[in-house]
Amino acid sequence: MKRLLVVGGCLLLAACASTPSHPQDPLEPLNRAVYRFNDAADKAVLKPVAQAYQKVTPQPVRTGVGNFFDNLRDVYSAANHTLQGKAELALTDVLRVSFNSTFGLFGLIDIATPMGLKSSKATLGDTFAHYGWQDSSYLVLPLLGPSTVRDGSGMLISNSLEPATGVFQTHTQATAARVLNAVNTREKLLGLEEVVDGAALDNYSYVRDGFLQMRAHQLGLPQGKQQQEEDLNIDDLVDDADASAPVTNDASAPEAKDASAP
Amino acid sequence: MKKLFACFALLFGLSSVAHAADTPVDLVRDTSRQALEMLSKDNGKNSAKVREQLISMVTPKFDFQRMTALAVGKDWRAATPAQKQQLAKEFETLLVGTYSATMTRFKNAQIEIKPNALLNNEGREAVVKSEVTLPGSAEKKPINVDYTLYKTPQGWKVFNVTVEGGSLVTIYRNQFGEQVRKSGIDGLIKSLQDKNSGAKAT
Repeated sequence: MKRLLVVGGCLLLAACASTPSHPQDPLEPLNRAVYRFNDAADKAVLKPVAQAYQKVTPQPVRTGVGNFFDNLRDVYSAANHTLQGKAELALTDVLRVSFNSTFGLFGLIDIATPMGLKSSKATLGDTFAHYGWQDSSYLVLPLLGPSTVRDGSGMLISNSLEPATGVFQTHTQATAARVLNAVNTREKLLGLEEVVDGAALDNYSYVRDGFLQMRAHQLGLPQGKQQQEEDLNIDDLVDDADASAPVTNDASAPEAKDASAP
Repeated sequence: MKKLFACFALLFGLSSVAHAADTPVDLVRDTSRQALEMLSKDNGKNSAKVREQLISMVTPKFDFQRMTALAVGKDWRAATPAQKQQLAKEFETLLVGTYSATMTRFKNAQIEIKPNALLNNEGREAVVKSEVTLPGSAEKKPINVDYTLYKTPQGWKVFNVTVEGGSLVTIYRNQFGEQVRKSGIDGLIKSLQDKNSGAKAT
């Protein structure tokens, strides 16, 4: 907890000092530092552990572990859907938890999904966004990776509420569970870092922009304003380029053929 | 008369051969089907050959010049035709290299192409939606992959791909912009060349 306060203090300092290259990343210098730390920690510890974990555990076990933590997340999700006033989704979450926790052997088997109870996990960050906190600065959390100030705060509050205390009896158990969850999650993402290494000119910026685009999409928000304006101009942008100018005259021909189909 | 013939052709199921890829949905569907077919022939020994085949089948469906323009954004206007060509060439190499390396992961993927494309821009632009499911992975939710195409004299071409809302193209805009700000268009070309030749770019 103390550590988080220190991080929070650093955030405020960094926020004053920077000139952002991305409008949603005023904390870039700090974020880059945390990103480098995470990257080093991942290479030294988490990735090798996840690789070993992948070797020693069969897929059904890993799926079971994933399901178990998903089931706990459904508890949070039910609460957040309720907070957002989405009764139907909240009810789905409650039903998912009750089926998976009982017939699904304490959540190890996800029987709710094949039953037609779709998983749609809501977090406290989603709830904040629902009530108007839509634009939030990018924030790289130590060890946890890409997030936003909004989602990070949500996570912090959710964790301090600990409904999981009903599941894990001691502090040690809860910590062990967190580690297992982290390793299991990392295992699912093995191979991703190679894609980033292969694709990105600047890994930090690649991960950030990818994360922010996906998160905006998840929340049903429009992409950043700057980007949208430029996207609209794609025809203008390539108009002067020789061969790639769009056709206007031929455009109707293939469609007419399609239209002839009954 | 021609129309009537087209109707018959459709009725007899000849259409898939006769006008494959007439619509954006057909193009995406045919391409994914062919890609999966090619990948299924991969037996571990012929991977390099399969990859070659796949690349030469898939790349003509993309318009890399337009893709690069989209990735670069407003700086594209400042580039000379020669620079544009170089940029597009290097960007193509980067994308093809990156994503062909991951293709074998999709060997047993199930791809469902949504039958209705979203048409924009007076029907000249289309977004085809698809869902990709990877069997055996712990992730049960299908991944949403959208393709944006536009109409050219050579048929429909893809110029943007988004995965769960993240664009594989515009994800580069800030990185490219940063390079251009630092060292101009030529600097960007150079850093792409370095990246493609395996040197670690900054």
